[in-house]
Amino acid sequence: MNCPHCAEPLADGAAFCEACGKPVAAAPAAAPAPVDVSQEASPFEMTAATRAPGTRAAAVGGGPRPCLQCGAVVGPDGYCESCGTKQPSERDHFREQPVPWVAGVCDRGIRHTRNEDAMALHATGQGGGQGGGRAVLVVLDGVSNTDDSHLASLAGSKAARDVLLTPLPAGMGTDESRNAAVARVFGESVQAAQAAIVALTPAGSTKPPSATYVVAVLEDSPAGRRLHVANIGDSRAYWLPDGQPGVQLSVDDSVAQAQIAAGMDRKAAEEGPQGHAITRWLGIDAPDLVPHLTETVLTGPGWVLVCSDGLWNYASDPARLVEQVAAAATTDPMALAVALVGFANGCGGMDNITVALARVEQEAAHTEATTEGDTHG
Amino acid sequence: MAEFTATVYQNEFLPDGGTDVNAIVTVTCTGAGSVTSGSGSATAGEVIIVDTSGSMGPATMAAARQAAMTAVGEIVDGVWFAVVAGSDRAMLAYPQVSAGPGMVQANDETRAEAQRAIDRFAGSGGTAMSTWLDLAGQLFGSIEGLTQRHAILLTDGENREDAGKLDAAIQRATGYFQCDCRGAGTDWQVEELRRISTALLGTVDIIPSPDQMVAAFQQMMQASMACGVADAQLRVWAPQGAQVLFVRQVAPTVEDLTARRTAVNPLTGSYPTGAWSDESRDYHVAVRVAAKAIGQEQLAARVQVAIGDDVLTQALVKATWSGDSELTAKIDQQVAHYTGQTELAAMIQEGLAAKAAGDEATATTKLGRAVQLAAATGNDEATSKLRKVVDVENEAEGTVKLKRTVDKADEMALDTASTKTTRIKK
Repeated sequence: MNCPHCAEPLADGAAFCEACGKPVAAAPAAAPAPVDVSQEASPFEMTAATRAPGTRAAAVGGGPRPCLQCGAVVGPDGYCESCGTKQPSERDHFREQPVPWVAGVCDRGIRHTRNEDAMALHATGQGGGQGGGRAVLVVLDGVSNTDDSHLASLAGSKAARDVLLTPLPAGMGTDESRNAAVARVFGESVQAAQAAIVALTPAGSTKPPSATYVVAVLEDSPAGRRLHVANIGDSRAYWLPDGQPGVQLSVDDSVAQAQIAAGMDRKAAEEGPQGHAITRWLGIDAPDLVPHLTETVLTGPGWVLVCSDGLWNYASDPARLVEQVAAAATTDPMALAVALVGFANGCGGMDNITVALARVEQEAAHTEATTEGDTHG
Repeated sequence: MAEFTATVYQNEFLPDGGTDVNAIVTVTCTGAGSVTSGSGSATAGEVIIVDTSGSMGPATMAAARQAAMTAVGEIVDGVWFAVVAGSDRAMLAYPQVSAGPGMVQANDETRAEAQRAIDRFAGSGGTAMSTWLDLAGQLFGSIEGLTQRHAILLTDGENREDAGKLDAAIQRATGYFQCDCRGAGTDWQVEELRRISTALLGTVDIIPSPDQMVAAFQQMMQASMACGVADAQLRVWAPQGAQVLFVRQVAPTVEDLTARRTAVNPLTGSYPTGAWSDESRDYHVAVRVAAKAIGQEQLAARVQVAIGDDVLTQALVKATWSGDSELTAKIDQQVAHYTGQTELAAMIQEGLAAKAAGDEATATTKLGRAVQLAAATGNDEATSKLRKVVDVENEAEGTVKLKRTVDKADEMALDTASTKTTRIKK
């Protein structure tokens, strides 16, 4: 392992670099070194008009897809034959829309050379309040400067999702037993992601791949439409009800969050030198694997948003996200995901950007009741 | 089968808001074979046009006869050929037919017959080059299936026709056959022959004295015989909304191809490059694209070499917007070099035109700039030719004086060689 500050080799288990003296404990999430733009492959330009709203994304790996910029044919050289835009690889930009009301976009952004974010979605049924709707939104943000984290995050996100394909358990009837059963399933999801990441860790790696983890599971139950969120790290889940203030449901495992908890201003903390250092993650060197868990009963229409910091860096406050959602003025989740990714790229695209959305149209009969059970800490 | 490769030299980095992308594309042809072994395979045609007007003095006429006979001797077996004697009208000197195919295939017998016909050339009459070009076109047209058509034109004087006649004939020949032009002595017009050679994708040069004529003809015919690729096209694709500012050949000579575009499709234009031997040519392509955000990359041009509908090679010209001024400020060495060489050609031609018109101030300024550019771009040939026309006071600053007495041949040699460029080491 090398020092994240000066790149000198570090002794095993060293807490400080012997060359420059800086602490290296938070190395896996150290702010990335300034990137020489010239050495990077290109991004592609995202605009809100890249695709007609409502159309399904082409299946990933299903043959050459049309130009993401203008929709024309892409040449064998990887550039659009009409507008010349360089096409991102399938890993650098992919979209999923399992049902019309659930969609996501995972994009490399502008500054990074590869896309280490990953996303896996699953959804069934109707999102429009007819009942039976169920959505699983998984986002893993592979940590930069670790070996093969783009592979690990993708495998991890799929493994995490696959544990959650069936409805969450109801337990033995009491809230306690249900909460425990749900917590166990999310624990299994985390373990599955962890196992996938560890399996892809190169032997003897000094920079083992690591990733954040955030999952939102939305499902209808007799008690109402429940939204469960589990997370480790600083990828986030939000509930953004139409016309009302949004709320962040995930809890960041970050230095910034600790500083905010200690009373520091959010903006100052997040933009501080350690603002992006995460304190917990998945990977062979993970400190622990217990996710934060929250459960919310949703009322009224709105958006469930799961995203990586590539988006929320530019709109950390839920109010700012609500502004962007309002600006997009759409109820199509793919159109909104494309718009939010475009917004982040327009702000500089300094990191990989993943946006997964579920559109909730339900007018629930139940009054809003929020229970939060943070099983960790 | 000939193989083409294309290599791009450019600085793809544009500053924020930058729109103009410049690139040098080096196209190299290998394995061209010859007119008979390449894709031309015995369907090549050569027409030798010799000025037989009354202005041709005895020494020049004798040298021209010798040179044309030598050129005939270089024609490879199987190639169709004809010899035209040009004066105020064009006469088919060989083969002596009045109907049917106006060319014959080269062999020992036909070459000897042609040489005997050339040996009877005598100067008389005027100079009407339009009739020469038109007859050459008719001769090529009389042979079915010719894929490669090349002519050599020798004259010693200027065209004596009504204005517009020659241009109309050039237009008829453009795209149909190629033509290398040579002027003997100093009584011909460089600008006139350059008009023909440029349009007909050939070369122009001066043969100052009769004793250099045989070698010049031999070299021209050998070069033509080495062209195993009949007709290659340069294709330039530019993205929707972009503008191709110019497409120029910049090596071995400067030839502006911009106006010679024909559309392949709305985004792709085709530019003629004529026949190829084993050689390498450089093209300067400039495209104006819409500026994109910093960090974004796009394709500014696809530059392809095509024969017919077959694209043989492709080079990609890119644009990447960057906020790093160290990257964006650099001008690619090749682009800078050829930009200078293109300006050099223009300065020499404009300077000599001004001098001919008696505008000494303009001539001095332009030729001074030419001296400066020739030195800066390492074009030693241009430098030595310029020094025969001007006295150089300061090469780096481009201050010169026009020589009071200049050998006309030196001035014409400077003019004909103005478009010749030098390469820089890559």
